[in-house]
Order: sequence, then C-alpha cells, then structure tokens
Amino acid sequence: MMTIIVAVAVILVIIAGSQLLKIAELRAQSKGELIYEVSEKEAKFQGILMLVFFISFMAFFAWQMCSWYGLRLPVSASVHGVDTDWLTGLTYIIITPTFILTNGILFFFCYKYSYSSTRKATFFSHSNKLEAAWTTAPALVLTVLILYGLSSWNAIMTPIPDETDHITIELTGQQFTWTARYAGEDKKLGRSHVTLIEGVNATGVDADDENAKDDKIVKGEFHLPIGMPVQFVFRSLDVLHSAYFPHFRSQMNCVPGITTQFNFIPTITTEEMRKITNNEKFNYVLLCNKICGAAHYNMQMDIVVESQEDYDKWLAEQKTFVE
Amino acid sequence: MTTVTVENINYKEEIRRKTSKPLMWMGIVSIIMFFGGLTSAVIVSQGGGSFLSIEMPFSFTISTFVIILSSLAFHVGLISINKGSYTIAKISVLITLLLGCLFVVTQYMGWVALYESGVYATGNQSTQESSFIYLLTALHVVHLIGGLVSLIVVLVKTMKQKYSLDNSLGMQVSITYWHFLGGLWIFLFFFLRYTIA
Amino acid sequence: MSTHHHHAKDFLFTYIFSTDHKMISKQFLVTGFLMGFLGLIMSTLFRLQLGWPGESFEMIEMLMGSWQEGGVMSPDKYLALVTMHGTIMVFFLLTAGLSGTFSNLLIPLQIGARDMASGFLNMLSYWFFFISCMLMLASLFVEGGAASAGWTIYPPLSALPEAIPGSGAGMTLWLVSMSIFIVSSLLGSLNYIVTIFNLRTKGMSMTRLPLTIWAFLLTAILGVLSFPVLLAAALLLVFDRSFGTSFYLSDIYIGGQVLDHTGGSPILFEHLFWFLGHPEVYIVLLPALGITSEIISTMSRKPIFGYRAMIGSMMAIAFLSFIVWGHHMFLTGMNPFLGSVFTFTTLLIAIPSAVKVFNYLTTLWKGNIVFTPATMFSVGLVSTFISGGVTGLILGNSALDINVHDTYFVVGHFHIVMGLSAIFGMFAGVYHWFPKLFGRMMNNKLGNIHFWITIVCAYGVFFPMHFLGFAGVPRRYYTNSEFPMFNEMIDINVFISICAIIALVGQLVFFFNFVYSAFRGPRAPQNPWKGNTLEWTAPVEHFHGNWYGEIPAVYRWPYDYSKVNAAGEYVYGEDYIPQTTPLGDDEKDGGEH
Repeated sequence: MMTIIVAVAVILVIIAGSQLLKIAELRAQSKGELIYEVSEKEAKFQGILMLVFFISFMAFFAWQMCSWYGLRLPVSASVHGVDTDWLTGLTYIIITPTFILTNGILFFFCYKYSYSSTRKATFFSHSNKLEAAWTTAPALVLTVLILYGLSSWNAIMTPIPDETDHITIELTGQQFTWTARYAGEDKKLGRSHVTLIEGVNATGVDADDENAKDDKIVKGEFHLPIGMPVQFVFRSLDVLHSAYFPHFRSQMNCVPGITTQFNFIPTITTEEMRKITNNEKFNYVLLCNKICGAAHYNMQMDIVVESQEDYDKWLAEQKTFVE
Repeated sequence: MTTVTVENINYKEEIRRKTSKPLMWMGIVSIIMFFGGLTSAVIVSQGGGSFLSIEMPFSFTISTFVIILSSLAFHVGLISINKGSYTIAKISVLITLLLGCLFVVTQYMGWVALYESGVYATGNQSTQESSFIYLLTALHVVHLIGGLVSLIVVLVKTMKQKYSLDNSLGMQVSITYWHFLGGLWIFLFFFLRYTIA
Repeated sequence: MSTHHHHAKDFLFTYIFSTDHKMISKQFLVTGFLMGFLGLIMSTLFRLQLGWPGESFEMIEMLMGSWQEGGVMSPDKYLALVTMHGTIMVFFLLTAGLSGTFSNLLIPLQIGARDMASGFLNMLSYWFFFISCMLMLASLFVEGGAASAGWTIYPPLSALPEAIPGSGAGMTLWLVSMSIFIVSSLLGSLNYIVTIFNLRTKGMSMTRLPLTIWAFLLTAILGVLSFPVLLAAALLLVFDRSFGTSFYLSDIYIGGQVLDHTGGSPILFEHLFWFLGHPEVYIVLLPALGITSEIISTMSRKPIFGYRAMIGSMMAIAFLSFIVWGHHMFLTGMNPFLGSVFTFTTLLIAIPSAVKVFNYLTTLWKGNIVFTPATMFSVGLVSTFISGGVTGLILGNSALDINVHDTYFVVGHFHIVMGLSAIFGMFAGVYHWFPKLFGRMMNNKLGNIHFWITIVCAYGVFFPMHFLGFAGVPRRYYTNSEFPMFNEMIDINVFISICAIIALVGQLVFFFNFVYSAFRGPRAPQNPWKGNTLEWTAPVEHFHGNWYGEIPAVYRWPYDYSKVNAAGEYVYGEDYIPQTTPLGDDEKDGGEH
C-alpha cells in the first residue's frame, strides 16, 4: 500500500513539474523572451549567490575547525612524528591561505563580473609576465616542501644501524589479527616461513634456528620501552595488510612473501598520554589500514609504552618460543 | 524526424583513405604498451632474484627465420602489385600465409619441447619464468592469428585482382601489421633469451 | 509490410547499431549516467551504514533483499558496495561516460570532420562498453557477491576466494568486464587520436584547436598508453586465479593450509595497476578541464587566458602522470630513493595545475559572465580543483603521506579533486552541449537549483572527511565503533551521510530536467550561446555527415570573444567572431590585437 502511495505521489510530482515548466516557457514566449536566455537580473542574482556561497563555505570551514579539529590525533608520540607534524603544519600554513584566497577570488569575480548588457568584456588573451609569475611562485614553494620532505623521508626510512642500541620486533598480520615477536636477548629474529606453521606455532617460526629459541611471541597487546629505537619487521601470512600506528605517525604495508621495515622511537608513555588527552582509558593502538577482508575494520592490537624498568619486567614474564 | 543524407559527397571513402594506416599505427602502439607491460613485469619479477634459466627450444630459432622470410615474401607481393604482375603477387601472398601457419606450428613445437624438458606453464612445478615464457609467446600467437585472418582477406582480394598501383591500401595496412608482428617476435625472442633463458 | 520492415531496420541502425558519432555519443551519455546513478545509490547505501552503524533500515531491505538482511548491511556486502561504487564511478561514469560522450560528440564537430575515423570501430567501442556494464552489474547477483577487494583489486585479496567471498565468481566477472572495458576504451581512443590528427578541416591547425579537443587528444593518448598495461595486469591476475600460476602470489597461509604459490609478488601488481591507475586520474580529469576551459571562455565572453600555457600545462600534466605512479605505493617497502623520486615528480604536477587555476581566474577577470548552469558547474569545477588540489601537497610528500595514507584524508582529497571536478565538468558539458545533443534546451532554473544542491552537499560530504583523516580514521572500515578513539567521530559521519542523501535527491532534479528537456524542452537555435567553435555552424538536426555541402573552413583561433578595434567597437558588430570568419586586413590571429 505504502509503495503504491509513494509511486503515485512521485508520478504526480513529475507531471506537475512538467506542466510548470511548460507554463513558464509559454509565459516567456508571450513576453517575447526566450526562456533559456539569462537575463541581467538573473545573472546578478546568481552572482550574489556565488558570493553568499563563498561566505557560507568559509563559515562552514571555520565551524568545522572549531567543532572537529579538536578530534585530531594527539601530539606525536614518536621522535620523527614531531618532525613530520611540523612539516604538515608548515604545509597547512601555505595551503590554507591559498585555498581561501583563490576560492575567494574565484567567487568574487563571479559576483563582480556577472553579466551586464552595457559592459564590454576585456579582450585579454595572454601575458607572459603573469604566466611566468605563477609558474615560478609555486615552483619556489614546492622546492622548500620537497627538500624538507625528502630529508625527513630519508631519515625515517633509514633502518637503525646494528651498533645503535635498539629492540627488534616482528609484526605478523593475518586475517584478522596481529602477532608480535620480540627478538629476545640475542637481538636477532629467528627465521620463519609459512610452511612451518603448525599448531601453536601460528606464524611459522623455525624451531631449528638458534636465533629463534629466545624469541618471544605475544598477542593481544605488546609493550615498548620509552626512548628506545624500535626496529619493526613486518610480515603477512595471507593478504596485504598495513600496520598503522596513528599516534606514532608510522605506517608500513605487510606483504606476503617479503618483509618490510619501519622504525621509530616512542617518546611518551601510555600514562603520560592519558594525562595529555585527559582520557583515563586512552590506549595506543596498532590498526590494519589495507583492505584485508570482512573483519578488516576490527583488526587491532594494543600498544603499551612504559618505562624501561616496567618494560623489562613485562618482557621477563613473557615466555620464549621454545617454552 | 526525417533522415537527411548528404548528397554527392562520398566522405566515407575519403575518411577511410586518410585514416586506415594511422589507425593501424595507433593499434600497434597499444599492442606495444601491452607487451611493454608484460615484459616490464618480467624484469620487475626478476628483481626478486629467484630466476632459474630455461633453455630456449630450437624451434623458436626456426620460428624467427620463418617469420622473417614471410615478411620478405609479403613485401615481394606488394612490389609486384605495384608493378602489375598479379601472378607473382598471388604466389607471394600465398607463401606468406603458409609461412605464417608454419610459424604457428613451430611455436607449438617449441611449447611441446619446453613441456618435455619439464618447463610447465602452470601448477606447482611451474615458476614465474616458465609461466612467462609460455604466456608471452602464446599472446604473440594470439595477435598473429589476427594477422593470418587479414592475410586471408588480402589473399582473396589479390586472387580477385582487387588491388592496383593506386589502390592497395588494405594490403599496405595488413603488411604493416605483419611486419610489426615479425618485429615483435624478434624482440620477444631476444628478450626471453637474455632475461629468462 | 515491406515498409514496416524498412522502418524496423532504420530504427535498428539509427538508434541501436549506429555508426554516427552523435548517436554513439548519446548512447555513451545515457549508459554512463545510468551507471553513475547506480554508483551514487550504492554510495548512499553504505553511507547509511557509516552514519548509523548497525541500525536497521527495513525500508531498504525491501529493495536490497539478502544484501541488507534485517535491514543491516553485512561487512562483506559493505566492501562489495564500496568496490563497485569505485569501479563504476571511475571507469564507467567518468572514463567511458565522460570521454565517450564528449569526445564522440565534439571531436568531429569542432575540428570539422564528417565523422570519426572509423564509425564501425566507434560503434564496437560503445557495444563493448555496454557489454562490460552488463557483466559488471551481473556480478552483483552471483554467489559470494560482487568483487570486494576495493576498486584497486590488490591481490592476494582479489585472488583468493578463501580470503573474501567476493573474490570468487564476482571477481571473475569483474576481470572479464574490465578486460572488455579496456578494449572498448582503446577502440575509442585510437579513433579520437586518428580523427584529430587526420581529419581536421581546412585551416584548422593544431594551434587553432579548441582546448576541449586538446584535452580529448591528450586523454586519448594517455588511454592508449596506459590501458593496455592494466590489461596485462588483469591477465596475469586471471592466470593466478584460475590457472595456478604465481605471478602475484607467494608464501600464503590461509584457511588452515599453505598454498602452492611461490615466488610471486603482489607489489608487481601494484606497479602495473598504478602505471595505469595514475594516468587514469587524468583520463578522468583532463576532459573535464577541457570542457570547462571552453565554457568559461565562451560564457564570460572573453578569450581563454593563456591558450598556449593551457595546452602546455595539460601536456605537462599528461607527461608527468606517467612517472608518478609510485606515490600510491610509498608504504609498500619500496626503496626509499625511489620514494624520493616519486615525491619529486608528484609535487611537480602542482605547477601546471596552479597555472591552469590562475589562467581560469584571469579569464573570469573583467569578463561579462553569463550564468547558465554550464557556467555555474564550470566555476564549481575550478573551486573543487583548488580545494582538492591543495591537499595533494600533503599526500604527495612521502614523509607526510605516512600518516594520512589510506585514511579518510585521501578519500576526501581524491573525491574533491578528481571525482567532483570530473563530474562537474561532465554536468557543465551536458548543460552546454545539450542543444547539440538533443536539439532542445534544458531548463536553466532547474539547472541552477541542481548546481546549488550539488555543490553545497558535495562539499558537505567530502570536506569533513579531512577531519576524519586528521583523527587517523582509516578508509574502507565497515564501522568505526570497534575503536574507542573513533567514538566521537560519529557526529561527522552522521553529518556526511545526511549531506549524501540530500545530494542524491538533488540529482533527481537533474534527471527530471534531462528527460523532460530531451523530449519536450524548447527547440534549440543553431548557436544558443553565441559560441565561436565549428559545432555551432552545423545544423541543429542530426544526420550523417554533419554539414550540408562543404565543410566550413577555419580562419582563426576559437577564442575571439569581445574583440574590439582601435575605436573600441566590436570588430564585426557582435561580441563573438566564429572561427569561420576570415581574418580582416588589420587583424592578427591567436589573441593578438
């Protein structure tokens, strides 16, 4: 019944609309006008609307900044993150005025130069000076951004050298869970391969490898000591995943068949971050950021950043691989 | 609505005359990009370093000579059309067609030889390079079959003496494609030889 | 009896298997819009889930059946809808729908040709497109549902039905459909390029081509160079899925067992895919920019500012688009040096883009802007091109990309800069060339309403997404409710979803206007917008061959609007001088006084 009523209503609206259009057309005709010709009044009106739109757009932008900008990620909890956040900020300082100004000019021109039967448009077809100016200006700005960005990028992507004190953690993604493996006292991860997966050995660690014997496997949550460089090695057992640590401004894909790497130095403990965010329940999380199947939206693992002593204590409680 | 036709202008013939060859060339460009994608896939895969070498079957070498000969024969056909000697043209196009078929046969023999020597296209005994060698050669043959079809058309038209000095566009387009296929094979042959084999 | 038979045959070859470029253009337009509308409905459906996760919409169950059991969408159906939405919008609406419509309509008409280089290939192009549409839609109804691996179909997810049900029959159909689509697109592109190079009328030199034609030419070149590579990528995927090869697959443990595949690499697929995928962005965008250039110039009654710079920047964009694909792959473990190279090339694209924007602004400056719906959408395009473009500076910079990669920030960015810009360009084109397509005029008032609803809601949908990105919300999540840190985001999602629903309703205004005007709109005069280009010298009625008698010759560039002589009077009494008007003794061509 409901369906029929809706259908009838829709049909009536369409018929009414058609009739109205026809009437409008006939009325214009009787006045000797053409309905599709834009009158000066109409053009003026649309020009004003353009200006109104721009002002509302900016108001909308400001409103969003007030109500939603506060929801952004808290201050970076890694060393390199502070650096990239700074560059992000710099980029915003460049692009926000650009965005506002160019949009403003666009809509202002639309308002200012809307059609008038008395005015002549200016025949102005090119100017080498102007074009050179707006080729060079972006080029200069970009040079700064590119140079700064590349130096950050190379610093971030360089693996931690062996002689620097660090810990190594392997993160293995599979539908829809993460497993962390600590390299243990020898600081070397044992070999692993999918063909070795068997029973409790869910990530296929090679039990015959000397380096693997002291490896520690944890699930659910893993801990990091503050101020210590962490070298992550990523694997995937099935499809592509992406290990995304939003609070540490870090991300790397996990690719079946090969290992990938990323490293960062955590700088803020979970406790401190709880104070910063004013949220007692705050937890660092690792989430999956590459579509990996139906439960992709819930592939997560908690991260706890704590003092070196707490970390050592926690790690000592974890069982080694052979146990 | 009434249908209006443009009188006295046979524009379709003019368009055909102007655009047949460029169309063929653009088609060739897209085929080059297709094989370019596949061959760069071979190179990117090789970056992994797990490639073993496969011995190229001898009949692929024969294929190379066959296809070069067929291109020459086709060219002789076009020259004789221009000179007006239809008998030689007919024989040349026929030879081209036969050599084209022979090419397919030698390709097939090559695959048999590969299979016999334990190089498989698919399955768990196959490797990437063994799959690629079948795939690239087979895709070339697929394109070659298109060439053979056009050769048959050209042969029929030559038999009927449809071509002449100033009316051999169809044949020229077909010959362009055929030379391209020859060049593509020679490229693939050396590419496979120096990357996979 | 025999006349009846003739009528049937006429109908078949006039409307169905037509080889006339104008009819093929209309076929592309209608098919593309229908596909696009389906894509829009899909997006609204998954916006319902994102705005009100887990809530039951029983009304929708009536429509969607098992896709919405109990009125709630399941996670794998959600992913299927996301995938189909992306595929349909990018390929079917904005590639085939946009290029297919306007390249077909405008290339012969604006360069002065009687038809495309090959009407037959052109017809094949449409019918391949049609078949591929049907196969793509059919994939919604197969076991396991439609492809669900995202429109980028990265293996192994897209290769393994064990990983997600949509990678079974649905993915097979996706690949078949896309292969046919690629063939269609290639046939179209070959035709466009050859037509532009070989069939220009007398006097139509390359530097007298309207910018639309330049844009279509560069688009077609991009298509010919990049689509075959996607075909190669898809072919290898087909082999991996169905014939047991290992091009992309290696060391996979799924469903309790280790698969046979060894030695392949999914990264290879990403390289091949994005070698197409990035040029594809410009295949979508360039025609829209071309259309806008033409409309902004015509409707502000001014020559386009910097004609040569516009061509140069389009060429630069087209060239650069081939060497930036790696910026989609910064986080795949690629060599950091390669990442640096791709950052450099990517950010370079900002320069020609900025040139285009400033040239548009200068074209409007001191113009006399006639606000038809086409003008409004062109202005909208410039706005979205700016708003979406600036955030590219963040995403293209590899160090900054780390934190926003695959978040809603990206979704916001590319929807605004590529999705909205392209669809605005397409709407602008439809409003502007409707008289050429259907011989009737669209209604301006409804068009203006359509524009305002669309631009307000479009910004309402995509602008807030940047804020989701700041909070680190990943894209392609069925719901954000599993993470306490995303709990507060629900307000933003509700806001976005409401805007999306209004936007959908707003499009109905357009469809009504379109259908009504096509059949009952006022009859169009030959040159309703007082344009200079050749299509306005052709008769309104459609027939094979486009012009009665000789094709007009061309004597000047297409942008002589408001050209005045020393006395400040219009040179020929009107504020426009068609390209067919011979140059006067004291006149210079190409915008020189």
